[in-house]
Amino acid sequence: MAMAASETLAQCLARVASIVGEEHASAAGEAICVAPANKEQIAEVLRLADVGGLCVAPVGSGSKWGWGNPVRPAIRLGLGRMQALREHAWADMTCTVEAGCSWAAMQNELQRHGQMVALDALWPERATVGGVVATNDSGALRLRYGGLRDLIIGMTLVLADGTIARTGGKVVKNVAGYDLQKLMTGSFGTLGVIAEVNFRLHPVEKDRLSCTVAAPEPAAFAAPLQKLLRWDLSLSSVQVRTGKEQCALDIALAGRPECLAEHQQRVKDLLGEAAVTEADEAVWQARQRLFESTLVLKVSVLPAEVCAVSSDLQQWSAANGMEVASVAQATGLMTVALQSAVDRGAELVEFLRRRVAACGGSAVVLRLPDALRSPTDIWGADPDSLPLMREIKRRFDPHRILNPGRFVGDI
Amino acid sequence: MLSSGQIAELRAAVGADGLLTERAQLQTYECDGLTNFRVLPGAVVLPRSTEEVQAVVRICARHKIPFVSRGAGTGLSGGALPAAGGVVISLARMSRILQVDLANGYVVVEPGVINTQVTERVRAEGYFYAPDPSSQSVCTIGGNVAENSGGAHCLKYGFTVTHVLALEVVLPSGELVHFGSPTLDGPGYDLAGVFVGSEGTLGIATKVTLRIVRRPEMVQTLLAAFDSITAAGQTVSDIIAAGMLPSAMEIMDRLAIQAAEAAVHAHYPQCGGLLLVELDGPCTETEALMREVQALCRGNGAWEVRVAQSEQERAVVWKGRKAAFAAVGRISPNYIVQDGVVPRTALPHLLSEIDTLAAAAGLRVANVFHAGDGNLHPLVLYDRTVPGQEEAALDLSYRILHLCIENGGSITGEHGVGKEKQQALGAMFAEPDLATMQLVRCAFDPDGIANPDKVFPRPRLCAEKTGPYVPHPLETAGVAEFF
Ligand SMILES: Cc1cc2nc3c(=O)[nH]c(=O)nc-3n(C[C@H](O)[C@H](O)[C@H](O)COP(=O)(O)OP(=O)(O)OC[C@H]3O[C@@H](n4cnc5c(N)ncnc54)[C@H](O)[C@@H]3O)c2cc1C
Repeated sequence: MAMAASETLAQCLARVASIVGEEHASAAGEAICVAPANKEQIAEVLRLADVGGLCVAPVGSGSKWGWGNPVRPAIRLGLGRMQALREHAWADMTCTVEAGCSWAAMQNELQRHGQMVALDALWPERATVGGVVATNDSGALRLRYGGLRDLIIGMTLVLADGTIARTGGKVVKNVAGYDLQKLMTGSFGTLGVIAEVNFRLHPVEKDRLSCTVAAPEPAAFAAPLQKLLRWDLSLSSVQVRTGKEQCALDIALAGRPECLAEHQQRVKDLLGEAAVTEADEAVWQARQRLFESTLVLKVSVLPAEVCAVSSDLQQWSAANGMEVASVAQATGLMTVALQSAVDRGAELVEFLRRRVAACGGSAVVLRLPDALRSPTDIWGADPDSLPLMREIKRRFDPHRILNPGRFVGDI
Repeated sequence: MLSSGQIAELRAAVGADGLLTERAQLQTYECDGLTNFRVLPGAVVLPRSTEEVQAVVRICARHKIPFVSRGAGTGLSGGALPAAGGVVISLARMSRILQVDLANGYVVVEPGVINTQVTERVRAEGYFYAPDPSSQSVCTIGGNVAENSGGAHCLKYGFTVTHVLALEVVLPSGELVHFGSPTLDGPGYDLAGVFVGSEGTLGIATKVTLRIVRRPEMVQTLLAAFDSITAAGQTVSDIIAAGMLPSAMEIMDRLAIQAAEAAVHAHYPQCGGLLLVELDGPCTETEALMREVQALCRGNGAWEVRVAQSEQERAVVWKGRKAAFAAVGRISPNYIVQDGVVPRTALPHLLSEIDTLAAAAGLRVANVFHAGDGNLHPLVLYDRTVPGQEEAALDLSYRILHLCIENGGSITGEHGVGKEKQQALGAMFAEPDLATMQLVRCAFDPDGIANPDKVFPRPRLCAEKTGPYVPHPLETAGVAEFF
């Protein structure tokens, strides 16, 4: 988006610099990079942008910058100076952290009291709390601990007009007022800037072991997986990794040591003593490794369909001469990457959308080559609640300055 | 008041047997579980289908008639209190379980289904519906969704919102929309998450997709008697610090124990602080953890520690706890049930402050609480026939709420804001926070006809402008940075 006609880049830069300090504002091509020190400064910058009709993109580390539809911001609002773990009430098992803190830095601090936010995010060293929340990222731990919507208990946000608002609180149980943290989670920065997040915490998994079993195709896992999930095991994570002509079922158990051995044995009895081998913790990085490809999707299916969809995908790619790899969590969330013939990505997207439509699932493109951008519908969804979502956007951001167009339905 | 033309439209929408207009009939609906607020509605409709709900809401929208949805009317904050002269939409007749999908762990129900019916339906297959408000044998899923209800076992399993996968909703305009899906993370805002807990102010849920959970291999329940609440509270902290997540941890004080004993003979030991801990999960793990819990109880001076030996004994233990509210009627002619939350570690401090306040007011307070998550239910006992005592009791009960806020907590952990705590919400949140919530309200319901004049401190119009950000008084005073 261009600068407001009346204002030159230099003028705007000067005004922004007067808010955050000169060393924290700079020009980068057509945009201004600005790094506020606190929520009050975020509010001032947003007010300025709102009045001037300047498009703002909140940025953490930029690790997921390409997700969603592209935005050309006049102001890149960097959260890099807001990295503090403001409070760790370890006895209450809650914490408050600034949005620019990296996921790993936060976890390292919490670890000192043997606690964690029970979610394994992508690129934890780089990804910031704000970015993880805005994109609603989640990994293999979701099976046991739920997603961000279950882990976030409060938030401080800054709206387009500079209003600083808090929602929720610092207690785990709280039904006072609307749950705006749910609205903000996964909203891709289109409703407001997340300044601080309050999490509920869990003890770290001290005793944990992972095992794996291989098979030529994932359909073979369907029956045992159903059984496994019905048992009361100390399951932490379960995923199905699928590639060309091979696949694996990974299982992580976490709990008291005396229990783990017994549960591992039950897993072996189910899947075949000889077939099950101990797995390295690195298998849980498989999802992240898929992002080395240039075309990556987040696909959501019913939990009981995980193996069938993975198998269909494997067969389809073989039949079409494409190399596709996928990692599917037992929750039904899959990451799918196209590793060859990326120019034919549209075919894969179309296949997946057709396949998951039957069970009411979804397939969102997270990463794709520039050449495919404009012809591809990234979100691939047209929910009947879209008019209501647009109305919410209009109320929160009437001048459409926050990440305009990035979200579903061009919100 | 509704005009005869409007009444005729409503009759056409739901049929003559779905419409109540006689004064005597309407009186049944004039309040919910918070009986000191009463308002007579203009009419009550009892739709049987989503289409009928839509037809009724469209009539309301066209004439700007306020409507209030109603489940079983067990709410404790006046959420289902009618709007004067408005329409009450009872969902009681929409009570079918529409779909059970065990392989994917969900059920689809109509809003009038009673909470326990969900578990009853899937119990034989080894599943249950986890949120268990004490009122679960009568309250509806629609009411649970609106209040984001919790229960003793939410410590481990989460609240209603954790278990709502999808909703079908009739918006205040009469339009039908769908939020969420049985598959996770569908593209778009998490409107199901926003709707849960919105207390009937954003529309009417006409179908609810609920997550069900498989039954644990083993459940063990322990009772431990301490001389003081503080010792019981310390044990709770120690259990959490040891990295355990019991499915429930409840504390009752001497007065509450007396009441429960008088009512249901749960064979509770008479003591200053009774702790109930329930663990569930795989057998080996549960047994190991229960040994640790017992040791922690003894370490904190528990002089009696009992583990229920049978399903029957467990049921009796829980019966006493779940009957505690009503049981207080045995030891006091009148009482107020309060619902507040503080960070768990603030509980001992808060309880001693409550004692001080109660002593100053010359009133007794019985305490029952979900200790694991800091959710307390002080029961303020009084006698209406004593002049001035009701006012003193109400005053004390509100003061307790303010104590919760000052201690970094919340004015409600599960009963909702409704009519009762509108003003308290204004004490907990600052003006900009409320104005932001109001943006959501206005996007859903620009005319403000869905459960009007509830939740927010004062009725507000959607076009109203609010002022700039003002720090909350507590923040300025340095008492709390964020609460
Ligand atoms: C003895 C007793 C014990 C209780 N224990 C607990 C407890 O342990 N935990 C707890 O959380 N609560 C508890 N409650 C409070 C109450 O039972 C819950 O709030 C319950 O969820 C209300 O359900 P209901 O069907 O009675 O709803 P109602 O009281 O009829 O309505 C509650 C609110 O929901 C709205 N509503 C109802 N149906 C719909 C719908 N379909 N769509 C949109 N909005 C709707 C109403 O407008 C109203 O605002 C208790 C109450 C009593 C009397």
